[in-house]
Order: sequence, then structure tokens, then C-alpha cells
Amino acid sequence: MSRPLVLVAAALFALLGLAPLAVMAARVTPEDLTALFTLNAATLLGRTAVYGLGVALLALALGVPFGFLTARTDMPLASALRPLGVVPLFLPPMMLAMVWTAVAEMRGAPAAYFVSALSTFPLVAVFAARAFERIDGRLEDAARLVGGTRAVLRATLPLALPPALCGACLAFVFTINDFSVPDYVSWLGLPKFSIYADSIYATWRIDASPGRAVAMALPLLVLTLLMLLPALALRRRGALASIAPDFRSPARIALGPWRWPAFAFCAGLIALGAFLPLGRLLWEAGGGPRGWSTSELAAAFSMALERSRGDVRNSVVSALVTATACVALGLVLGHALERAKRGRALEPLLVLPLAVPAVLFGIGIIVLWNRDATAALYDSNALVSVLLTGRFVVFAALISAGAVASLDPSLEDAARMAGAGPLQRLTRIVAPALRSSLAGGFVLVFVLSLRELDATLLVPAANHTAMFRIFNQIHFGRDAFVAALALLLVFLIVLPGLLWSLFARKRLELLP
Amino acid sequence: MSAVALDHVTLRVGSRTLLEELTLEVAEREHLLVVGPSGSGKTTLLRTIAGLAVPSSGELSLFGAKASEGSRVLVPAERRRIGFLFQNGALWPHMSAARQIEFVLEQAGIAARERARRASELLEWVELRGFEQRMPATLSGGEAQRVALARALAVEPKLLLLDEPLGPLDFELRSALLAKLGELQQRLGLTIVHVTHAPDEARAIATRTLRLRGGRIEESR
Repeated sequence: MSRPLVLVAAALFALLGLAPLAVMAARVTPEDLTALFTLNAATLLGRTAVYGLGVALLALALGVPFGFLTARTDMPLASALRPLGVVPLFLPPMMLAMVWTAVAEMRGAPAAYFVSALSTFPLVAVFAARAFERIDGRLEDAARLVGGTRAVLRATLPLALPPALCGACLAFVFTINDFSVPDYVSWLGLPKFSIYADSIYATWRIDASPGRAVAMALPLLVLTLLMLLPALALRRRGALASIAPDFRSPARIALGPWRWPAFAFCAGLIALGAFLPLGRLLWEAGGGPRGWSTSELAAAFSMALERSRGDVRNSVVSALVTATACVALGLVLGHALERAKRGRALEPLLVLPLAVPAVLFGIGIIVLWNRDATAALYDSNALVSVLLTGRFVVFAALISAGAVASLDPSLEDAARMAGAGPLQRLTRIVAPALRSSLAGGFVLVFVLSLRELDATLLVPAANHTAMFRIFNQIHFGRDAFVAALALLLVFLIVLPGLLWSLFARKRLELLP
Repeated sequence: MSAVALDHVTLRVGSRTLLEELTLEVAEREHLLVVGPSGSGKTTLLRTIAGLAVPSSGELSLFGAKASEGSRVLVPAERRRIGFLFQNGALWPHMSAARQIEFVLEQAGIAARERARRASELLEWVELRGFEQRMPATLSGGEAQRVALARALAVEPKLLLLDEPLGPLDFELRSALLAKLGELQQRLGLTIVHVTHAPDEARAIATRTLRLRGGRIEESR
């Protein structure tokens, strides 16, 4: 690809993703760092690490069997359950917390562990499912001939495990950086469950000092990178289980009498993570304990639309702009990651905006853009897209890079020999060949943008989004309006994936 | 004038030397067969001539014009107007057979109507009339390779590079494609550099055979 194109994309990424971090880092003073060495900070950090590890292990324990059963066995309705398994990941974790704390009277740490595991197990499941189905059938046959099912498992598990562990590492990262779930379960009353991300938010709230906020975030950043960098390495190792040109699909494994118990496990997980929460919201929107009725439900929805029309519109527009920008930028960066000399060196830089605590990234956006020269941008809804693009472009770039890696380089060579320049090759050859991955990147970024709360919480321009409205409203009491608005948001979140599965023939590639 | 002239061309990637001090001339209208074991540098030689791989040192000239000097590329691949038939055809999966050819013609600035006419003409020449709207996934190995040949010829090249073009084909299809290549050279006066690991098949139509080993010329006859 042409160097100017890559340089423009890299400069844009530096402005959107790295500059907010650089301006923050520049303000750290030695005094700020002293705040790190307190017993309270150490306790919080330890608790956060244990919380992240616990949730990652739970996600692994739930996600690997779910992925295996839905991708490789003759379990009833496996092909329908597999895409439905992604829904809990798409739902805002705070929404799951809202529901489960009400349904099961859960509080404190158990509630946070339960909700986060439900929310992140799909990360492991989708990675594991893809790996299991990409193991060549002949490889399994060869193992079966020498040692039966045991040999098959010994030969294939090492190929599926790295992607599953990659998913678990991402579950850890998502969990320790999500401030909304611990905040919500603590807000409900004793026992409280505070994690490290809370303290960054609280530090900024108390003295608005960027230096102190950065200093406070450093241990969490280290913790995140300790998991994120292995996740990237595992993702590359996961490519071992990839499709060769003469790939032969593995045979479906017959579960025999275990077919229905397997179905109960998978369907149960989806019910806990998606259907029950949505059902509960529907019940609340229709009147809940006061008595459910369709007229109450209709009234709640019309009130939600009336009172939050602007917020919903802002959310959708920001998410659409962000997803489009991320896909375009991610295609160029992802291609460079995979094809350019020393492109891999870009990877740690690309993940940095995601690795820093979301609250800190939001503060960085405030410090960078809150100036006279950029006041118009700072006050507009466009700032939300600027923030979200900087933070989420890594997903689009990694999805593109993965797809480029599986694209025969001679396709681009052939276009070059035909006289096509770099931009033509990218837009006419690479992009159409990767359309399901680009669509996957679009959907993933769209969903993450709609449900993002932590990074946008402190940014004034983002105070007029649907997610922010829900966050604000639940602190003043839950009612039919909040439930209806939450359901409306869920509908918008699942809509692109739903449309894709209805009208497209290829499966959406959602994985980085 | 030589169609291709390499003067002490070396290509290194990291610590590996893929081509070493290679000096070679290919005359116009010659059909040069390049043979050698795997990893001997056959495909790298083709990619260097095409401009897809950049030499570390040495000079490369095409039809008397310098194309690269040392590691400096003077004429980039997209401006060399060389036909390249890739090992697996490298058909763009999202384009129909006719679109593959039209895309090439579009790069040369040819008008849309003319593009469609010439695409049909080329497909007819490779005996694939009526295949215009067929997508690569629906083509057999032999059909795909013939579409790729038609696409390579769309740039009206004076030099055609063939990278194991017969590899995936059965005996009958190999013979048919070889006959087509012989006819092509006679009719258009093309210079062909043809890489293969099965020299016996193509020797009948080749004018010279070059054996590579470890990035060096072992034998030329």
C-alpha cells in the first residue's frame, strides 16, 4: 500500500487515539505519583485483579463448552443458538446489573461477578467456536485413526485453546475497565463493591487534576496491558487453526443421549444473559408490580420516545459515524499491520487507547479538545464520535488485519500488474473481498459505541445520549420509562446484526 | 534488444539470499523455461521481473529501458505492462469472469462499451464464450486458469510471466493450455518466462531452459 495513505491514517489515529493520552501523560508530576503508594490503592488494585481473573475464568468455563457445542456437535438448534449467544455481549453490562439485582436480589461482589461473567462469556464462546470449526477434518481423522476420541481431543484442543484464552484475556480487560457494574451494585446499598476504575473517576470528580488521574490509572493500565498483549499473541497463534485452500470441514460430533442436556446448558446461558433480562425489562415497561398491561407498555414506549427522542438520535448518529470512520481507518491500518514491513510494531500502539481505563480516555478528550480554538467541536455531538473512534478503531483494524492475513496476496499483486494504484487496490480488490469482515467491524463498533458509558460519562457533549440518560435516570429510581428506553436501546443494538443475518448469506465476522 | 536483462541482481530478505548475482538475458519472442527445486528462486525471479519484489542490488532492464537500479525502482509494477499468470490464477473472488478483464481494461483508461466487447473477445479466445457472468467460485480449475490467462493478456503485454500455470490442472487440460500458449506466442510474438517444476511438459514449446538452484543459475541450455 502507498506510504502517504498509511501515513494519513496513522496521523489520524495519533490525533484521535494517542493525543488524548499524550496530553494527559504530560501533566503528571512526581507528587501525583505518590498517591499510588497507599494501602487503599493497593487493596483496590488487588481486588480488581482478582475480580478480572475470576470473571475471565468463569467466562472460559462457560464459553469453551458453549462454543464447542454450538459449532461442532449435533445439539438441537445449534445453528440458531450460536448467533444468539453473542447477544449478552451486546447488551450494556449495566442493564444486566439492573435486571439481575432486581430479579435475584443480588448485591455486592457476587452480583458483579455474575453479571460480568454473563456479559463476557460470549467473547470466549465466539473465539472458541470459530477455532473448533476451522480445524481441518483430515487432521481429526488422522488423530482418530491412531487413538480414537482421546487422541482427537489431544490433537485439536491445543489449536482451539489459544483463541479461547484470547477471549478470556479480553473478558478480563473488559471487566476491570468497566466501571458501571460495580458502581451500580454499590449504589444499591451494602455490601459495596468498589474496584480500581472507581477511584480514577472519584479522583477526577474531587480535584479535576489530569496528572493525578493519570497517576491513579497507571497500575490499571499495566494490569490491562499484562492481559491485552498476551491476548494479541494468542490471537495470532489462533491463526494456526485457520482455513487452507483445500480445507475439509470437520465432521459433526454425535452427542447421543447428551444432546438435550447440552441444549439445556446452551439455551439456559442465553436465557440468563439475554432473554430473562429482556423479559424482565418488558415486564417493568408494562407496569411491573403495579400490574402488567399492553396499554401501560405502549404508554411507556411512547413516553420513552417522546422524552428521549433527541438522546436516541444522538446515540444512533454518533454510533453510525463512529462505525463508518473506524471501518475506513481500520481497513488502512489493518492492511498496514498485516502487509507492511514492521507493520506488527503498530499493534501495541493501536491497543493503547483501549488499554487505558475508559474514564481516563474520556478525561483525555476533555483536556485535549476543551480549548477556545476547538470550542465548536467540543460542544457538539461530533466530539462523541471523535472520542469513540479513537477508542474503538483498534477493533476494526484488528478484524481487517485478520481478514487481510487470510487473503491471498497474489490477488493484490494481480491488480497491481493490471495497473491499479494503492487506493484502487484497497477499495476495489481488498475491501470487496473482505466485506463480511468489514461489516462485522462496523456492527461491533456500532454496538460498542451505542452501549459505551464509562468513556463518555465525564464528557459534556456525551450527556445527551440514550445510555447516559438511562444511567442518570436509574439513580433517581427505576420506572417503566427507564425499562422502555433500555429496550429501545437494545433493539437498536441488535438491529444491524439482525438485518445482516436476515439478508446476507455470509456469516458476520465479528472477531478481532 | 533483450526483452529482459538482469545484471548481477541480488535479492535478500533479512539474512536470506533469494537471488544471488543473477545475470540473465531473455531475447524478444523467446519462451524461457525456468526450472529448479522448491526454494530455488524461480517465483522470486518472476516477481523481480514483474516489479513485485525489489532487488537489493543489480540492474534490471525491460525492452532496453531500465526498470530498477540497485534497490531503486524506476518503473513500478503497475506501469510495466507485463502479463502475469499466477500459480493459482489469483482471480478476484467478487468479480465475474468478464469483470476480471474489464477491471484491467478500466485501469488502462478504455471506455466501458469497448471494455465489454474486448472482455467477450478475450474470453472467446480462451474458449470460454458464455462464461462472462460466471463467478470464480463456480469455475473449474482449468476454466479459472483460462480466465486468468485472458486477464493477463488484457494489458496487451509484450512480456508474459507464467508462474506454474499448469500446476492444478489434469493431463488433458495441461495439454490444451500448453497448445494455447504456443499459439499465443506465434500469433502475438510474446516473450514468455515460464516457471515450472515439471519441465518435460513445456519443453516442446520452450526455446531455452534455465535451471536455478539456491538463487543462482546452475545451467542454461
